[in-house]
Amino acid sequence: MSQYKIIFTGPVGAGKTTAIQSISDIPPVKTDAAASDMTKTRKSATTVAMDYGVMNLDDGEKIHLYGTPGQERFDFMWDILTVGGIGLILLLDNTRADPFQDMKFFLDSFGDFISDTSVAIGVTQMDLSSKPTIADYHMQLEGFGLKPAVFSVDARVENDVSLLVQALLFSLNPGLEDE
Amino acid sequence: MLGRQMSSKDKKPLNVALYGMDERSHKTMVMYLQGPCKGVGIVVDELDAEIDIIDADCINARELMEDRQAKTPDRPLILLSLEEVNISGTIYVKKPVQTVEMVDALNRAKGMLNEDIPQEAEVIPEQDAIPEPEPKIEKIQPVVESKQAETKQVETKQAGTKKIDSEERKKTSKHRTAMDLTEKGFHAYIGHVEGVDFSDREQVLKASYRPKDFFLGYVYSAIKVAREKNRILRLNSSWKPLMIFPHGNEIWLDADDKQLRAFAGLEIKNESGKGMSLTPVDKNVSESINEKMENFHDADAFVWRLAIWTSKGRYPEVLDINKPVYLKHWPNFTRLVVTPHAIQIAALLINGPRTLINIADALKIKPQYVFVFISAAHTLGLVGQARRKADQMIAPAEVKKSRSQGLLSKILGRLRSQEKLNNNESV
Repeated sequence: MSQYKIIFTGPVGAGKTTAIQSISDIPPVKTDAAASDMTKTRKSATTVAMDYGVMNLDDGEKIHLYGTPGQERFDFMWDILTVGGIGLILLLDNTRADPFQDMKFFLDSFGDFISDTSVAIGVTQMDLSSKPTIADYHMQLEGFGLKPAVFSVDARVENDVSLLVQALLFSLNPGLEDE
Repeated sequence: MLGRQMSSKDKKPLNVALYGMDERSHKTMVMYLQGPCKGVGIVVDELDAEIDIIDADCINARELMEDRQAKTPDRPLILLSLEEVNISGTIYVKKPVQTVEMVDALNRAKGMLNEDIPQEAEVIPEQDAIPEPEPKIEKIQPVVESKQAETKQVETKQAGTKKIDSEERKKTSKHRTAMDLTEKGFHAYIGHVEGVDFSDREQVLKASYRPKDFFLGYVYSAIKVAREKNRILRLNSSWKPLMIFPHGNEIWLDADDKQLRAFAGLEIKNESGKGMSLTPVDKNVSESINEKMENFHDADAFVWRLAIWTSKGRYPEVLDINKPVYLKHWPNFTRLVVTPHAIQIAALLINGPRTLINIADALKIKPQYVFVFISAAHTLGLVGQARRKADQMIAPAEVKKSRSQGLLSKILGRLRSQEKLNNNESV
């Protein structure tokens, strides 16, 4: 059986693990470790390998949900993870020093994968920091020649994550119908 | 004093913001306004100020002035300087500041404010000119410990204790996530339009409405004025007063969804529209509404909803149904009411302009789902009529089935069935 995956990526603390947890049918497999480097200023534990969750489909098929480790020193894993991926969910933390720089970094890093598939962007922590606004993100994205969905997302809220994934699916094919 | 007789209302202190002053000068000015100036002005944060005072002798005075004129062009500006400064639209006060001159300058500023917004200005809806671009809005920076939000709520709202001063504003804001409407729930949500048979293609093509004939048009115009003036304004009508808080991009209205939906659908005739007026809201009035927190709405989510209830499946008359429209960017669906097929329509339209009917045909959906989405997105300035000849010259591509369509549809079905399950649990 084929391995179908949706990849969740983004910087440390953007909510990848939580977002997978929100829509996974199994308790997500986490590979967190106590943060020891600069990450510890943002959270006490961080993902050092990957997160893993599953969505079970009606016919027994499974969609694997993979979260990449947020730290750049693990970027060698990203190419491996994206093989067979359906599309990319990029989560950005609005409280970070330069979320646009983060966005650029991840759009560049996953550029080939995005051009083969699609991307939808969720901006987290907008309750804590309302700027940049969603409109600001769209303005920045014009420079990339991309027009992806950009939603403010609370990664703990299933409906938010679900809508973001739905936007990714319709970006891949607007003619989809529920089955 | 310009010979003006001060009414009791005029005696209310002006909210003043100070710029270009070090801490000591700032404190001195605060005490000076309270003491020798007898409280004609009171120093507040930038967001709450009605007038600005800049020390024009500070090193970055020019930048400060340009910044203020860009951000709050209608706010009176007082410049303090040792040398005479003669800049159009500003009030000069020579340093060292004399009390009489300062009080006179503040009263002149107050006079400018009163001229700027008449105490009861009639509102003329200008919905035909609903914007192409979205306006830049000054957003506050709410700080709140967010808890697990309840899903399936209708729209963005604020919760908790709310004060109008900026510090308190920062502590509030907790959104409620989007409401995802199914086709079945849609009709119950939007209500019924008299006189249009949506099963008749000919009638569907003519199913337009003029936003300016409805409450939507007045609300839109009032928000625009509040943003331009950067002031809290109150829209008075024969119904309930609505207050606009441009700094936080919020609306306050003491009405539930059912009441708002009913009023949104009422056509406002020219005569009854004359009762609409805009008045400035002072801090005391705005503080008096603090207790009804549930009545605060995110302005975009509010206007989006209002457009849905006004449209009821019709399209805004300002759009030519025979010409393509474009989508500037995706709406922020997680904070809006998601009408049936809205995500699908956005995904299609973001790839290039199409006519409204072409969208419905390409996606094999009813035109009223397209019309209602277009109405809401147009009100937020996300949709415009494509003007380029090239957009009308070549027919848009068909929506083709892809090899992965079956799989993607299954994932979609799984996500939506879970949504329904959550909806049922929350009922």
